[in-house]
Amino acid sequence: MKRGPKARPGTKWRTAAQERVYGRRLLEALRATAALGPRAVKEAADSALAFTARGRSRWSRAILLSPRRKARLLLRTGSKIRRGRRRARAAEAGGRLRGRLRVLRRLVPGCRKLSAGSLLEEAADYVAALEMQVKAMRALADALSAAPAAAAAAEPGSRGGV
Amino acid sequence: MGSAGSYGVGTGNSGAYVTEISEPARFEEEIRSLIQARFDAPPVSGGSFTALLGLSANQAVGLLHEPGAGEISAPAASSSPTGLGHPLGCSPTFPSNAALAERAASFPVFAAADSPASSSDGGPSPPLKAEPPDPDSSPPLPVPIDKPRRPAKRKDCEKQKAKGPGKKIKTAEEHTEGDQLPYVHVRARRGQATDSHSLAERARREKINARMKLLQELVPGCSKITGTALVLDEIINHVQSLQRQVEFLSMRLAAVNPRIDFGGLDSFLMAERGPLAASNGRGEAALDPVSWSSDPAPGTGLRTDLRPSQQSSTAWVYPYALIDHGTSLFGYGAANSVPLNSNQSKTDL
Repeated sequence: MKRGPKARPGTKWRTAAQERVYGRRLLEALRATAALGPRAVKEAADSALAFTARGRSRWSRAILLSPRRKARLLLRTGSKIRRGRRRARAAEAGGRLRGRLRVLRRLVPGCRKLSAGSLLEEAADYVAALEMQVKAMRALADALSAAPAAAAAAEPGSRGGV
Repeated sequence: MGSAGSYGVGTGNSGAYVTEISEPARFEEEIRSLIQARFDAPPVSGGSFTALLGLSANQAVGLLHEPGAGEISAPAASSSPTGLGHPLGCSPTFPSNAALAERAASFPVFAAADSPASSSDGGPSPPLKAEPPDPDSSPPLPVPIDKPRRPAKRKDCEKQKAKGPGKKIKTAEEHTEGDQLPYVHVRARRGQATDSHSLAERARREKINARMKLLQELVPGCSKITGTALVLDEIINHVQSLQRQVEFLSMRLAAVNPRIDFGGLDSFLMAERGPLAASNGRGEAALDPVSWSSDPAPGTGLRTDLRPSQQSSTAWVYPYALIDHGTSLFGYGAANSVPLNSNQSKTDL
């Protein structure tokens, strides 16, 4: 895999180009999963995100390579969010770093057996990617849920300018 | 023992240090145990400590007690013995600090490191990172032997210096981050042993802390928090909130999706276009308006609004390819919905 100088996740995911790339992929994904429900949409969005990451990070590979299993994991993460909070607090008692690292391992896909250092690295990339994903999805949802005419004017601007 | 007292101060300092790192209990224990372990040796034989410095046992003990009053300010510059006194338990080669290294080199000890080294060296020398003979070669420090590891150690050193008040301050100040000398020597903090285990552990910790810093910058509001555990908490919350937002947004998008006449796009999408890359597409833009203008379909507004996505329409071909790969990219039923859409589009048009 060609690897240039490793860009920091904060800068790598925040470029407009990256957002455009993801936006397009997201749209394709949405088209493919039209009317299949929010879960499919989420899966598609996550897969698109992982694809945009080009599989360079472990979490993206995990999402891409076993979407069903990892998809279920992601789904569970969704439902477990409230529980996860409590677990995070409980983990505090369990040992300051260890417990929290465990929680983090569960949150970031594909990082179950990583060392602390690599886990943090993956987490950084994942956080940056997630932020971009949220931004893109929000823009898309806003644009699409506005009146079509308004969206027509807004979308090209938003997608291009984002 | 006077030195014990000074090292008691050292441990106290480690408490201050610890507020930065925030694993007080573990660190203090580690430090204490290491100190205990180390102090068994020096008074008796000079042990590892003297081996490091390549000094004779007597000299070493003398140095031990000399700065022992706890305050080791203005070290190396003031007097050479004091300068040497710092790296109690350090490698004899000073970390990437040319000035200090020069001073060190001026000491007869290092120049003739072989003989005193051999005399005072014991078993401890092998596990040490830098060996006494090395400083011989080096005010300009020698070969970047294991360079990949060294930078970590250097960071390691820097952090230690920053945190260790009254410990080898002069070297700390001079040991700026601008130094890019290839061969880095690990400088242990006063009050910490330098056997390979603790060094490796410290390297690992430094690596983790560096990553944590990166994360802190990424997650809003984390830079103010001190304490690895709390920062991790924040990070976890942030990740969870982001994932939740993704879920909600996907619900919104799912609600919006049926209204979009995705099927209507197929006629354009099916057209042979250029390369598949999703990042392409400026060229395609020229084609799209043409095909759209000819299209009388009702959802024109929507189509125009999806125009930028048309540039990815070339990639419409590629979802098929991906779908062949087992719908892995686009989730369930992509293969099913695609032909469905195309059928719909045909009826629409």
